[in-house]
Amino acid sequence: MSRDLALAGVGLLAGVFSGLLGVGGGIVMVPLIVAVARLSQHYAHATSLAAILPIATVAAARFGVDEEIHYGVAALLALGSLVGAPLGAHVMARVSEGALKITFGLLMVSVGITMVVQ
Amino acid sequence: MTLLTGIGIVVFGALTGVVSALLGVGGGVVMVPFMTIALDLSQHTAEGTSLVVIVPTALAGVLAHRRHQRIRLRHVLLIGAGGVVGSLAGASLALGIEGEVLERLFGVLLALVGLHVVLTGVKGTRDSKGPSTGEGDR
Repeated sequence: MSRDLALAGVGLLAGVFSGLLGVGGGIVMVPLIVAVARLSQHYAHATSLAAILPIATVAAARFGVDEEIHYGVAALLALGSLVGAPLGAHVMARVSEGALKITFGLLMVSVGITMVVQ
Repeated sequence: MTLLTGIGIVVFGALTGVVSALLGVGGGVVMVPFMTIALDLSQHTAEGTSLVVIVPTALAGVLAHRRHQRIRLRHVLLIGAGGVVGSLAGASLALGIEGEVLERLFGVLLALVGLHVVLTGVKGTRDSKGPSTGEGDR
């Protein structure tokens, strides 16, 4: 029972994060599921993907009410993503993951800092 | 929107799919800055649009995972129940905040996620065993 409450709490927190920043929220959800519910990383990852469905749908609807959605851009990005994701899983086995993560991670840090200080 | 811009957006969407699978992060953190910087959308519209894209992408992820990892509906419903309350509150909060402030908040998130990615990369290079969980929207 207390675990049920903890899971709902994880959802609440991840939901706020998702709605506020326009992301799925998996990055906070996965470690929290592992920590509070003592479930495996793999299970937490699969579960968070499923939980993102209602979370992102409700948040998107709220942005839609305020007409803060560009449907044309959304359709094109979704089209690309659906093709790209399996491709990514496919090439993942062939690249040096460490160097790639460090490179992209640094890029994300610098874009993030630019957004903060501009 | 010109044809060229349209094609560019599809290509970026595909890159987002590849990059998020490789880095183990969700598409949102990559798509939102792309939309504000390259497409000049407002931070609010970029976030709303990102959320719309996340739904079918996560659904595809769920379907792909289904065979390897059975998940319990009970867990999903519990997280989802708290989640929809939270995301409604979070989205309302975002829409009430000025775009510039929201963009700064997002910048903090992006920098932190980037740092996390760098650290997992360094760790992965050092003990070179066990690639990260990888795929999907996080």
